[in-house]
Amino acid sequence: MSETLQTSVIESPIICPENLVYAKPTLMNEQTMHYCPGCSHGVVHKLIAEVIEEMGMTERTIGVSPVGCAVFAYRYLDIDWQEAAHGRAPAVATACKRLWPDRLVFTYQGDGDAACIGTGETIHALNRGENITIIFVNNAIYGMTGGQMAPTTLMGMKTATCPEGRRADIHGFPLKMTEIAAQLEGTAYVTRQSVHSVAAIRKAKKAIRKAFENSMAGRGSNLVEIVATCSSGWKLSPEKANKWMEEHMFEYYHVGDLKDTEAAFER
Amino acid sequence: MSKIKGAVVVNTDRCKGCNLCVVACPTKTLALTAGEVNHKGYAYCYMAQPETCIGCSSCAIVCPDGCITVYKDGPKRPQAESEPVASGLPEYPMEVPAEEEREVLLMKGNEAIAHAAIRCGCDGYFGYPITPQSEVLETLAELKPWETTGMVVLQAESEVASINMLYGGGGTGKRVMTSSSSVGIALMQEGISYMAGAEVPGVIVNVQRGGPGLGTIQPSQSDYNQATRGGGNGDYNLIVLAPNSVQEMADFVDLAFELAFKYRNPTMILSDGVIGQMMEKVVLPPYKRRRTEAEIAAECPWASNGHGLKQRGVNVVTSLELQPQEMEKKNLHLQAKYKEMAEQEVRFEEYNCEGADYLIVAFGSAARISQKAIAIGREKGMRIGLLRPITLWPFPSKEIHRLAKGKKGVLTVEINAGQMVFDVRAAVAGEAPVGHYGRLGGIVPSPDEIIEALKTQF
Repeated sequence: MSETLQTSVIESPIICPENLVYAKPTLMNEQTMHYCPGCSHGVVHKLIAEVIEEMGMTERTIGVSPVGCAVFAYRYLDIDWQEAAHGRAPAVATACKRLWPDRLVFTYQGDGDAACIGTGETIHALNRGENITIIFVNNAIYGMTGGQMAPTTLMGMKTATCPEGRRADIHGFPLKMTEIAAQLEGTAYVTRQSVHSVAAIRKAKKAIRKAFENSMAGRGSNLVEIVATCSSGWKLSPEKANKWMEEHMFEYYHVGDLKDTEAAFER
Repeated sequence: MSKIKGAVVVNTDRCKGCNLCVVACPTKTLALTAGEVNHKGYAYCYMAQPETCIGCSSCAIVCPDGCITVYKDGPKRPQAESEPVASGLPEYPMEVPAEEEREVLLMKGNEAIAHAAIRCGCDGYFGYPITPQSEVLETLAELKPWETTGMVVLQAESEVASINMLYGGGGTGKRVMTSSSSVGIALMQEGISYMAGAEVPGVIVNVQRGGPGLGTIQPSQSDYNQATRGGGNGDYNLIVLAPNSVQEMADFVDLAFELAFKYRNPTMILSDGVIGQMMEKVVLPPYKRRRTEAEIAAECPWASNGHGLKQRGVNVVTSLELQPQEMEKKNLHLQAKYKEMAEQEVRFEEYNCEGADYLIVAFGSAARISQKAIAIGREKGMRIGLLRPITLWPFPSKEIHRLAKGKKGVLTVEINAGQMVFDVRAAVAGEAPVGHYGRLGGIVPSPDEIIEALKTQF
């Protein structure tokens, strides 16, 4: 499909190459992403692209995409990718990194992928201290399949498969995957971030950078959870979804570093 | 009028009107169009009050779709060129150990698989212990190839993880293998299907045990159907090699890799508990160096490993395609590939077929036992020949058809309830009566039982 680039341009002498202060990272290509308006995935994609560019790792990165909303992550960032089976991204990444130790290897997974069907792979890859980074986008719902309950769905939160709200006696409790990861000997850096404001996005970018640097330095495994919104699944506008996240998600999923060590273990 | 300090350019085609930039803008510069929409039907953001922009980039930072480019008047910081970050991890050696005299050794089939893997330039083994094949991983752990050839050996947390490690490693163009036994292979089927769909090469060794379910740890050939029909979801096939000796266990590893990379498809070595556990004389294959990064890039220009990305473009390993026309095309491409395999890769062995009255079709350990039965039959005046399929898929149908002509009977001997017999019956196509003899539960048929079956069935 050939589209002519439509831009809303005002006549201004400021708009010239010397004055450029922010542009979409070049690793993020021109394809329009399939994500819903206001989806956090886009911001996280941008941050990953920026960090890879800034680290000069474009030709030495292997990304592993999940099953879930981000299954097509490989269409948007111009790096080499592997699309993994549901939940198996950490196993795929394990082999990539073990076989290519000088590559930057990361997985990009949602809560259903990393904390439900792939819990085993997530825990064991992290516990082995694989020199990879798991980017774990937690929006407490299954977005791609249309808003069903996730392992991370909050108590009382309504979804298509718990229409009256999550109940402990029927559904059990929301899983704190990142707290579990922090307990594992193999992890070097475990953090929970969000991307709902400029300040939060800047912090999240620093976290991703640190995790990627750890992966390259061989310090052990890294988990960056991004507490995220799902406007469509939550049935809120992007702006209201951000507010809801601040009011409800952060209460259960505390934002900040859970573990930050020099190295997970002696090699 | 205040002096303009900043300005933004919005890619209105990408904009989805989520309004997050409008909320993030500290100077209320931006707004969404009222009424006017882009070609996707979204209202889009624009500078409603351009004179207030301070070029702070907040809008662009929060924009999930990367629609906004920001310009700011004033002094600029020079952009630093970034150098790739060096790895803090040690590089693997790529030595080829000095070749000793190619001596005759005595070892188990499972041990031969491990030795052969190291010798044929295998880059990585990923497996999970299960009887009767745990010696593969145990032998590799003892031989420590990561210190010599640089081959990675990893005990995974499950067969599910193992096969997905195979997907990952194979997807980067490396020679990777796993081994397991029936129950574990069943668990791997999803990953094998993904490998076939994404055209990822790799070698899977199945040292079969009896089923169904947890079954038994004793030998069996009851995974024939699973192995030769793909095994997982979707239309696909694997080349299935069936060794009948420790020597073939050693020899088939390199062959399996060659076939896997030739066709960009997983290859299975379908062995069984008898061949895996049996100790026998073997001459191990000569050492082959692991390929360098440049060699991998040349052999696997499709591989997802970053190498040469700027020249070749992005490589993605995936089995997903949502456009039906595209998915049909992809499937037709796979079918054409399987057809080529079926035409090019049939392997079999004929034994004693000249002038025989009966034909036995058997593979793996059942073929060994059948050879013994043929010797016993000869003493009793029975002339029996054997066709041993070496590839179970593609199946040597033409050869079986040819040999079946004029026979008093064709007996399929398998350590199962009758699986290959369907392929044999289809191949014979009425040229001779076809029967089956097998034992179940981990019991291996005896040569006398085979002779008896020939006598009673034909």
